[in-house]
Amino acid sequence: MDYDALKEQWSEVEDRDGVRLSWNTFPSSRMEASRLVVPIGALYTPLKEKTDTPLLQYEPVTCKAPCRAVLNPFCNVDIRARLWICPFCLQRNSLPPHYKDITADAIPPELHPSSTTIEYGLSRPAPFPPIFLYVVDTCQEEDSLTALKDSLVASLSLLPPNALVGLITYGTMAQIHELGYTECAKSYVFRGSKDYSAKQVQEMLGLLAPGLRPNMQQQPGRPPQPSGPAARFLLPVQQCEFQLTNVLEQLQKDPWPVANDKRSLRCTGVALSVAVGLLETSFQNAGGRIMLFTGGPATEGPGLVVGPELREPIRSHHDIDRDNIKYYKKALKFYDNLAKRVSHNGHVVDIFAGCLDQVGLLEMKGLANSTGGHMILTDSFTSSMFKQSFMRVFDKDADDNLLMGFNASLEVLTTKELKVTGLIGHAVSMNKKSASVGETECGIGNTCSWKMCGIDPLASYGIYFEMASQGGPTQIQQGPQKGMVQFLTYYQHSSGQYHLRVTTVARMLSGPAGDPAIAQSFDQEAAAVLMSRIAVFKAEVDDGPDVLRWVDRMLIRLCSRFAEYRKDDPSSFRLEKNFTLYPQFMFHLRRSQFLQVFNNSPDETAFYRHVLNHEDVSNSLVMIQPTLDSYSFDHEGSQPVLLDSTSIQPAHILLLDTFFHILIFHGETMAEWRKAGYQDQEGYENFRTLLEQPKEDAKELIQDRFPLPRFIVCDAGGSQARFLLSKLNPSTTHTTGTYGGVSQSAQTIFTDDVSLQTFMDHLMKLAVSGTS
Amino acid sequence: AQEAPAAVGGVAGITQQFGQMGIGAQPAAAQQVPQRTQALNQLYPTDIMSQPFHVSELELPPPPIVLPPNTSVTASPTANCSAKYVRSTLNAVPTTHSLLKKTRLPFALVIQPYTSLHDVEDPVPVVPDQVISRCRRCRSYINPFVSFLDHGHRWRCNMCNLTNDVPQAFDWDAAAQRSVDRWTRPELNHAVVEFVAPQEYMVRPPQPLVYLFLFDVSYASVTNGLLATSARCILESLDRIPNADRRTRLGFMAVDSSLHYFKIPRDGQGSGDPTMLVVSDLDEPFLPTPDDLLVTLSECRENIENFLGKLQEMFQNTHNAGSCMGSALRAGHKLIAPVGGKITVLTSTLPNVGYGKLELREDKKLLGTSKESGLLQTGNSFYKSFAVECSKNQVSIDMFLFSSQYQDVASLSNLPRYTGGQTYFYPAWNAGRSEDAIKFAREFSDYLSSEIGLEAVLRVRATTGLRMNTFYGNFFNRSSDLCAFPAFPRDQSYVVEVAIDETIGKPFVCLQTAVLHTTCNGERRIRVMTLSLPTTNSVADVYASADQVAITTYFSHKAVERTLGNSLEAARDALQAKVVEFFQTYKKELAGGTIGGGGLQFPANLRGLPILFLGLIKHLGLRKSAQIPSDLRSAALCLLSTLPPPLLIQYIYPRLYSLHDMPDNAGLPDVATGEIVMPGPQNLNSAALVSYGLYLIDDGQTQFIWIGRDAVPQLVQDVFGLPDRTQLKQGKSSLPILENDMNERVRAVVEKSKDHRAKGVGSIVVPPLYIVREDGDPSLKLWAQTLLIEDRADQGVSLAQFIGIIREKVMQ
Ligand SMILES: [Zn+2]
Ligand SMILES: [Zn+2]
Repeated sequence: MDYDALKEQWSEVEDRDGVRLSWNTFPSSRMEASRLVVPIGALYTPLKEKTDTPLLQYEPVTCKAPCRAVLNPFCNVDIRARLWICPFCLQRNSLPPHYKDITADAIPPELHPSSTTIEYGLSRPAPFPPIFLYVVDTCQEEDSLTALKDSLVASLSLLPPNALVGLITYGTMAQIHELGYTECAKSYVFRGSKDYSAKQVQEMLGLLAPGLRPNMQQQPGRPPQPSGPAARFLLPVQQCEFQLTNVLEQLQKDPWPVANDKRSLRCTGVALSVAVGLLETSFQNAGGRIMLFTGGPATEGPGLVVGPELREPIRSHHDIDRDNIKYYKKALKFYDNLAKRVSHNGHVVDIFAGCLDQVGLLEMKGLANSTGGHMILTDSFTSSMFKQSFMRVFDKDADDNLLMGFNASLEVLTTKELKVTGLIGHAVSMNKKSASVGETECGIGNTCSWKMCGIDPLASYGIYFEMASQGGPTQIQQGPQKGMVQFLTYYQHSSGQYHLRVTTVARMLSGPAGDPAIAQSFDQEAAAVLMSRIAVFKAEVDDGPDVLRWVDRMLIRLCSRFAEYRKDDPSSFRLEKNFTLYPQFMFHLRRSQFLQVFNNSPDETAFYRHVLNHEDVSNSLVMIQPTLDSYSFDHEGSQPVLLDSTSIQPAHILLLDTFFHILIFHGETMAEWRKAGYQDQEGYENFRTLLEQPKEDAKELIQDRFPLPRFIVCDAGGSQARFLLSKLNPSTTHTTGTYGGVSQSAQTIFTDDVSLQTFMDHLMKLAVSGTS
Repeated sequence: AQEAPAAVGGVAGITQQFGQMGIGAQPAAAQQVPQRTQALNQLYPTDIMSQPFHVSELELPPPPIVLPPNTSVTASPTANCSAKYVRSTLNAVPTTHSLLKKTRLPFALVIQPYTSLHDVEDPVPVVPDQVISRCRRCRSYINPFVSFLDHGHRWRCNMCNLTNDVPQAFDWDAAAQRSVDRWTRPELNHAVVEFVAPQEYMVRPPQPLVYLFLFDVSYASVTNGLLATSARCILESLDRIPNADRRTRLGFMAVDSSLHYFKIPRDGQGSGDPTMLVVSDLDEPFLPTPDDLLVTLSECRENIENFLGKLQEMFQNTHNAGSCMGSALRAGHKLIAPVGGKITVLTSTLPNVGYGKLELREDKKLLGTSKESGLLQTGNSFYKSFAVECSKNQVSIDMFLFSSQYQDVASLSNLPRYTGGQTYFYPAWNAGRSEDAIKFAREFSDYLSSEIGLEAVLRVRATTGLRMNTFYGNFFNRSSDLCAFPAFPRDQSYVVEVAIDETIGKPFVCLQTAVLHTTCNGERRIRVMTLSLPTTNSVADVYASADQVAITTYFSHKAVERTLGNSLEAARDALQAKVVEFFQTYKKELAGGTIGGGGLQFPANLRGLPILFLGLIKHLGLRKSAQIPSDLRSAALCLLSTLPPPLLIQYIYPRLYSLHDMPDNAGLPDVATGEIVMPGPQNLNSAALVSYGLYLIDDGQTQFIWIGRDAVPQLVQDVFGLPDRTQLKQGKSSLPILENDMNERVRAVVEKSKDHRAKGVGSIVVPPLYIVREDGDPSLKLWAQTLLIEDRADQGVSLAQFIGIIREKVMQ
């Protein structure tokens, strides 16, 4: 099969199963696997929206314990004997009695060859409707707070009527509003400077059973409240909408005075800790989101990221690099502990930041990263970027169910040839050991099961494998051998039912070493994304330069292994079609904000990395290597152009998509004409159309994007143009320009970065030298 | 003259004779005493055995203060201080310490700066022009006992003899722009005056009146109706709370196991509804918001009413049995400390969580044992240390306690004790009983209306040679001679013990009490009370001018002090030892070593001491008993150390009136004064009670109507409207209003017996009335009988036995 056909096939598989693999043929031995350089990995989107396959309203047929694999199209079913053989553990299982009528022509849906991914609606109902606990910062300017209040009020109508909602507001202190109390507005107030333990929070909210509190004997003759004490704080939105809307509307800026040389006292840590504590007691393992709306950094109490003195700046990457950080480690520890608790409890933390400055996302990132929460970083709650992104969280499916799952767990089963080494994505380990667990560790490893408290149809996880076999003679088996993986995703569907999504992936195992099918099965896009996730995972713990060196080394080794060349002759270097783009991806990855952090704030870095770890292959690729389209009178519509400085031309309009930014750039001439107003003059309709086209296309791009990208329109020479310039390959830098060879009209980029060409030259030289 | 007067005419005879001797008359103006002789009060020995003390003698005024002529610069009859404000235990002062020691009598002042809850009921002259002339050395205020020199340009201080300039403005009316007659100035005519203070007397601008109410909202206080009643009472009393300057501020907090703060918006703002902010972090109470927790009554009147109207509903479903009142107090202190003011605590629960957490430490088995006294002492040091902190920040605390179970009044009462407040105790109160509801509502409303002073200090200055030694009462003794009162009440008195450090060469001494305070209307004022007393070298003079009421008041404080510092037993023993010592001293120093044959001699003016001391020893607060809950005792001790003399004496020796055989005019208004005429009081012994009689026993805090076992149906019908005695509702009750002469007169007497104004005191107390049948509920009967202190009862001796003991010891 040629490369394009393969690509087509992979894309079909992705549509059907939500899976892209780095290698679509599995090596047969550990040794061979290690020579592949890029690990065997899958980028899996468990809840990828599937409208074509029905939801099975019955319990799945599973293999005996401890295997518990689910019956799937790859199983060997003996219809006459009413038996099936589990491909994972090779055990025989009898079919359940109600399967007695199946025949080769009438098989249950899960056995249908196209049912490699299938979803069951389980009979187990969720204990509670979904919970939404808003945690709102009141240390904000009036306009920002007003905008936020409007968004929050508007969101109430987007929630399922039975969803439980609650409200915590905070500033100098944290207040949890007792929405179930109707005599007057009532809230519980926590000191912002104090590190409350979980037990204290629960005690102070009166959440412990009355008998458990000292001196708080239940009074005789009064029945206990039916739905538990926490019901005072979390009520069905249909029941408390009026009360909650009132409270939100009357919300005032934090009343405590702030001196001119001070920041507002903002106890984000306490507010979150109260939120976690509230849900912990009464709603453990019930699906719920803690949605934090923060307008600035925590300056008070546990988890503070900067002191209240304005002259004290918030930490930068340089400060962290130089270990010049006063609060960082303590704050990180605080939020990480909180993250551990909240993920244990099965709840999600979303962080919405509306602030021009940093809010401490770096310190808080664990909350969203380990719970599958969203991170939305915006300049202000007045921005449409916030408003629209926030509303998008509540998107619904065709059945009017929220597009979000709760309390999910993902279990991976493998056939004996494969072992799972880890997962990179928004999840935590469930520390489950099984025969499928590998010896090495990649990402979150040493387990075959992960918990993702929040999961949505776009959430994608990088899952990595190793080969178990030492390369000895394989077991005698009939026919061509396949390696198989089964992904079992249990989650609380927002309809209130538990679901199980089963995806079973089977791939051929290679023959003896050197099978060319392996090289052909390399999906460079998936591989680039999977490698990017590893690189970012490493960057979280290792030094930046070490990670870059690792990326380089892996690339060189991959090229050495798979390129055609004569030793020590760089000019002989050739890559197969399915490898050609990979070095470029790595080039851009090296230059990306994911690994080059110093041009961004630590908060931005945390945000970018968070998003990368959530997206599927194609979105991730846009982040790694942005797309650039050009518009001119020379051609109809847009034309993809190289992400290169040579693409900047005076009479062109460029549309850059970095995933986070969408930028329209008017070349010098285009900008002049526009400023002169030609587009409004008769006879220049084509110019007007040309100006409009990129806008239309941008609109299209923005439509499906979450979080909403920042939209920038700029002109050549304008200050905003730096967003574009920073992404372009510096083929025409101030060091190359004088030597000519490139179009004089091209933009010169002032950078010391190496260009793609230089990078490739080095790569080829090193790859063919065979020293790495 | 050493002979006792013949016992003719009993008590009436004695008083008549006293009258002839000038006892009981108003203190004569200086000029009216013809010559300066040693003609101080004469000693009148009486035999207390053959001429038993009669209760009516307690109504006699103290021995007159006989000053040398022309001691005051004006001939004003009010130049010397009335006993209503200041009483000295000795109206003739020994010139030396050794002489005082020899008399074995205490030298102390009993100071009652206010005699009513409101100024209009008993106004004192005001010096409005802010011309305040004070001695440069001893800082005494100019008073009627100074002398003018240099043609009136200078004045000599009657305390320290320093010559001071008379201020220029002294004789000039700045408002009218004309000179005034110096001799009309109030401070030269009245011993009790109030100066309006200028700026120099203020550390800061006068603070507004602040009331912070701490409502207990635990299960107990919601179900017994305390929350609803107090909220309603405040609501209905908003117009009575002093607010002439429209600056009065109110704050409200609710307390169970959490603190509930209330933000009350200004009138016309938003919905007008309060916002409740709950703080459960009791470790270090904090204010949940900087605004609207303490609001100006005039600006938030409607919303305060709205809030008070809702308060009961806010907590009606509570299950909470906790009370973190200690933490609440700290929080309240934090809230009002920047301004100062009054914290009013209304609670039915033992503070059982948070700061100052108290234990259920009362054990019935301990009562009556030597360990009982421990229960009367503070259970948690928080209550004293916190009270002292409050005092520093001008925060005063009043406790209204309502528990039906142990509440540790002993510990809680420390808060008022050191902050110029008061403990009001309503054991087992329940709003479901209308008597309880009405009593509390009336008292609380009067309480709110009371024109308390703020940020006050009391200091007593005296003639050189005298020194204020020890102070007793509810305040914090900030320095050796300065008592601090964050709020100054109008219903308490204070005792100051005076030491004689040097021989006094003058014929008379002066003691000047000054109370610097801010009125509840935001005016800085000084109330000055100047008392002059003659001096003497003779023990006889000292005894002849000793004031038994003041002496008893002093020893009441001493007994409380000893109980709290040592034990009940020690306090009782000391009282008995003291009274014996008086008799021994009298016998040795004045009666030539005899005790008067078969009787027991003692000066006429001190005849009441044995009975008053017995009353103290047998008082609820002090008597030996295994039946008295320690909370009741503690509350009684609070009263014994704060009540002004007229109420204190009645509390120690209650009033007993026979109602069935009242004189015809009793219970009806006096033709001349319009005041209800009271029947003559009777001594407290059961021999005085006839079985067919109807009596009122009243100790000022509780009233008992006693119906004899043989009371005739007509009497019962007339007074109670019931056909016979057995249908009477016993216990806490009230008298029905019937249209017959007897009922009206009995009610008038019962009502008049509560008339504080007639007694010359300010008080909010409305004593509850108990109906007791001689043949009815034995425990109720027993309780009423404990007031008959001349009887032998429980573990206490009878008066006859007590006098027997004294006699025996004196004879030894
Ligand atoms: Zn199996
Ligand atoms: Zn002087």
